[in-house]
Formats: sequence, structure tokens, C-alpha cells
Amino acid sequence: MARQPSILIVDDDPEMRALLLDVLRNEGYDTAEAKDGTEAVLALRRRGYDIILMDKNMPGPSGLDLLPGLRRVCPATQIIMMTAFGDVPSYMEAVEKGAVEYLFKPFRMEEMKTAVAKALERKAESRA
Amino acid sequence: MTATPAPRPRSRWRAILARNLTLRLVILLMLILMTFTGINDYIRLTREREQLLRQTQEDERIFAETLALAVSRNVRRGQTTSELQELLDDILSRPGLVAVTIYSPEGSVVAETVAVGEAPPALDDLVRTALRRGPQAAPLESKSGPLLRFIQPFRWPGGRTAALEVRQALGDMERQFREAVRKQILSRFEVMALLVLCLIAVTRWSIARPIRKLIAGARAVGTGDLAQRIELTRQDEIGQLADEFNRMAAYLQAAHDELVLQAQERLKLEQEVQQAQKLGEVGMLAAKMAHEIGTPLNVISGRAEVLGQVIPRDHPDRRHLDVILRQAERIGGSIRALLNYTRPRRASLRPEPILPILGRVASLLMERSQRRGVRIHLELPVGLPPVLADPDQLQQAFLNLVLNALDASPPGSVVRLATGDGPLRPTEGWASVIRGKVEGPALPIHVIDTGKGMTAEQLDHVFEPFFSTKGQGLGTGLGLPIVEEIIRAHRAEIEMLSLPDNGTEVIVRLPLAHPEAAAPAGLRPTGGPHG
Repeated sequence: MARQPSILIVDDDPEMRALLLDVLRNEGYDTAEAKDGTEAVLALRRRGYDIILMDKNMPGPSGLDLLPGLRRVCPATQIIMMTAFGDVPSYMEAVEKGAVEYLFKPFRMEEMKTAVAKALERKAESRA
Repeated sequence: MTATPAPRPRSRWRAILARNLTLRLVILLMLILMTFTGINDYIRLTREREQLLRQTQEDERIFAETLALAVSRNVRRGQTTSELQELLDDILSRPGLVAVTIYSPEGSVVAETVAVGEAPPALDDLVRTALRRGPQAAPLESKSGPLLRFIQPFRWPGGRTAALEVRQALGDMERQFREAVRKQILSRFEVMALLVLCLIAVTRWSIARPIRKLIAGARAVGTGDLAQRIELTRQDEIGQLADEFNRMAAYLQAAHDELVLQAQERLKLEQEVQQAQKLGEVGMLAAKMAHEIGTPLNVISGRAEVLGQVIPRDHPDRRHLDVILRQAERIGGSIRALLNYTRPRRASLRPEPILPILGRVASLLMERSQRRGVRIHLELPVGLPPVLADPDQLQQAFLNLVLNALDASPPGSVVRLATGDGPLRPTEGWASVIRGKVEGPALPIHVIDTGKGMTAEQLDHVFEPFFSTKGQGLGTGLGLPIVEEIIRAHRAEIEMLSLPDNGTEVIVRLPLAHPEAAAPAGLRPTGGPHG
């Protein structure tokens, strides 16, 4: 049996992390969490993830600042960015820096699930 | 109180003459005319007088000759002295005749008749000369006025020569002459008066009136009525002057209109910039709010969604959940609407020269900088390669940067806008912060001030919304966050270096529009040291 897709959730808000963890775990994904860029990098050193779901605005290096480094360390990982709505410029920047999906908070859980599924499909395609 | 002394008549006349061109012209012409006609009249009258005198002499000569002939005949006929005397007394009734004397060949008076009050003639040199050589004439001044003497020799019995003297008053002739002079002067004055009137009329019509029009026009233009034109349909110098004047007024009006237009345009631009600034600030505020609210709202709606999957649709308490979901949706909608209203439109990047953008920034801030006593120096060479920019947004970004520099600068200092690779001043030990990142060749634009500068601590927070180093009420703390947003939208980079009491240097690195044509000098790819 194929292993379950793994997702790393990076967000500085514990409630938001908890929500995403609950929902994605419920969907059967293998989830882990990190509260900022440093923790995310540490987590990625331990193992790889299929998907990273990352907030743009965090204390320390922002999600956008982390993007290029993450792309280099784990090029196969699909990165989905999250940010407050209306942040169009950073959306452009994120897409350029290699994010595959972009979610504007507040988003519906269904929306998030679709984005994750699409990212997984994309990853499967690129591997094939 | 000081009494102003009344102007002396002389200076008043001088003032009138100085102000009145017509009067001056008339007086000048009159003087010239009077001189010429005066000389002419003098010569003519002198000739006339001589003519009159000659005429009188001639009359006298004829009279004397006739009388001498008559006396000679009577003497030869043997008339006595008393008879001669009778003849002479009869003759004295001739107008103007003052005296008639008959001298014997020895020179003694034979008979004479003299008008009342006149001195009786006596033998003198002129009579002797006449006795020897023939008729003599000479003027003589007497008590009653000028006289003319005429001495006519005639044959005396015994072959000798006697003489007859006639004295005629010239008063009549003088009277005639004076009359002639008087008439002459009178007619001269009439002509002159007529001439003066004509002159005044002509100068008024052809000089004073148009000049007054010119003066009125010039005065109107001088007081700001630039639409004033002078209507003169003349080809002469005054007409040309009016044409020139109209041309000048038209030029002034055009220049004035141009200035007004420029000022209006600038005002409009300034208002637009202010509006954009305000909208940018409100947008930034809304974004900040959206960001603060976004996550908790997402947690609420997400949790409600999770619950929604657990609680069946027909559960009696399911409605509570639906209300939570709908209300969360509503909050999201409100914030989205606010953002849509205030969010700056997306940057549309295209190749743009940077110089006009910075020029506009400098001109928009000219008044403010003058007020603060700070100068803005544009130290940018022409021919800089075009950058990828949204001119309006980039203008706003630089406006904020230069505004900050102005506000931090002491009076008398200079804010420089320059280009160059690294920091343009020694910045060792300066704190620095970078936002955004540029890939490929870029054009660096520096905004440099020698103001109060910032500490490393302040610099770390400088791009955070609502952080301001300006005094209370001076800055909104949204300027630099907006700058950062614009810089990021441009895929550009902003570096800020600062040291307290030394000033701040901002370097904005803008991606070139044509990276493949990057000039070698000063435009090497940046980003390496910061990556």
C-alpha cells in the first residue's frame, strides 16, 4: 500500500495550525507542524514532505523569504502559500518563487483540501 | 503735520511741458515758424520802409523843383520879398510841410515860412553844398519828429544861384509804416493762431490720441488685464508700435496662460498624489486589519466547517453552526469589500525611463523642501537604461522616500537623488535592512540625506505598519510599508542604511527593462551578496 502523502504545516498561529492539522489528519494525510521558518527547516532536515502549507507572514524570515531556500533543499515538494486576502503583490512574488497554490485567509476547508489534492496531482505528474 | 509746499510756477510749467507731447511739439513748431516769418517780415518791412522813404523823397524833390521853378520865375519877374513871402505862406497848407526857406546866392534868408512850433531853418553846410553842387537831400530830427530836408538850387537874376529848402515831416510816412507793421503783425497772429489750432488738432488726432490709447493699453496690461489689445489701423510708426504692443500682450497672455495651466496641472497632480497617498495608507491599514483578522476568522470558520461535517443537517442545533458560518462569511465579505476599495491597483510594469519619474517627485516636493530650507539635488545622468516600472506607483514610492528624507533633514542641508552601485558614502558601522530582492541586472537609485538617522533597532521596525520615528502626529507609520509593497510589486529591492546623527541612505534597485542590453558600467547584477 502506498504511503500516505505527507504535509508540513508552517504557521505562527497555534490555533490555525491545530485546525489545519485536524482537518488534514481527518482526511488521512500524514501531517507535521512548525511554528516558524527555523522549525520548518529543522523538520525538513529530518525528513521530506510531499506538501508544505506555509503562511506568508511570520516573525523572522517570512514565507516568501523562505521559499527559494525550500525550493532548493527539496525541489520535489509542492509549496502552498497562505496569506491575508488582498495581498496580490506577494501572490505574484510567491508564484514566481515557485509556490504552486495560494490561499487567501479566510479560506474554506474545502478550498484548502482541493488545493492540497491539486498539488499532489501535480507532484505525481512531475514524477511521472 | 508737514505742509507740502505748493509747486513753484516754473516747475509746474515744466511738469506740464514734460507730460504733454502735443504742447511741446506745438511750441517747438511755433518757435521755428516765428523765427522764420519774423526774419522774413523784418526784411520785407525794412524794404517797404525804404521804398516809402524813397517815394517821399521823390515827391519832395518834385515839389521842391516845381516850387523853385515858380520862385525863380517870380524873382526874375521882379517880385518883392513880401510877395514871395505870400506865396510861401500859401504853400504851407500842403500836408506835412513844415518849412520852406528861400536863400539868396549870398546865403541870407530871403523869405521863409515855418509851421507853428518848428525851429526856423538857417544857413548850414548842406545849403552851401547845394548852392555849389546842386540838389541835396538829408533827414533831420526835430522836436516834432523826423523831417526830410530837400534843398533845390535855382537861377537868381544876374546868373547867380540861389536855393530853396523844403522841410517835410516824415510823420505821415511813419504812420503809414506803423500801420503796415501793425497789419502785418495782426495777420501773422491770425495765421499763427490758425496754425496752432490746426497743429493741435492734427497732433491730437494723429499722435496724442493713439498714444493715449497706447498708454491706456499698457496700463491695463500692467495691471494684469492681459487680454487688452490696442485697435489702431495705421501703417506708420505708431501703428507699428501698437502692433508690437499687441504682439507683446499676446505673448504675455500666452505665457501667463501657460503658467496658469502649469500651476493647475501641478495642483491636480499634487492632489492626485495626495489622494493616492491617502488611499495607499487606508489600503495599508485595511491590509493590516485583514491580516490580523484573517487567521482568527479562518480558525472560526474552519472549526465550524469541521463541526458541520460532524453534526447532521437535520440536527435541531445545526442552525447555530450555520449562523456562525454565515456570520464569519459576512465578516470576510466586509473586509474583502474594504480591501477592494482601497487596495492599490495591480502594478502594470512596462519599460519606463526613471528620470521623468524622479523629476516629477522633485518638482512635487519643491515647495515643501523650500519651506524646510532643504534642497533636492537630482544627480542622475541622462541616458540611464529604462526600468520595469509602474510610473504612478514608483513615483509614490520615491515620493515617500524623499518625503522621509526631507522630514529628517536639518535646514540648509541637501537631499540627493543619485545612482551608483554600492553606498555612495562611507557607511561602515551603519545599520542596514533590506526588503525585496532583485534578480538580474538592476538600476540602483539612491536617496541620501544627512538628517538625524536611525538606530539599528529603529531600522529593524521601519517597514512595519504604524512604526514612525517622526514626532506624534507627523507620520502615519504607513509610508515605508507602502514603499515596500510597491518595491516588491516591482520585483525590486530596497536597502536602507542609517546611523544616528549621520543620516540615511536608501538604495532602490530596480530591474532593467532590457536586461540583455545591460550596460557594463554601474549596472552589474545585484542580489548576489544578499541572496
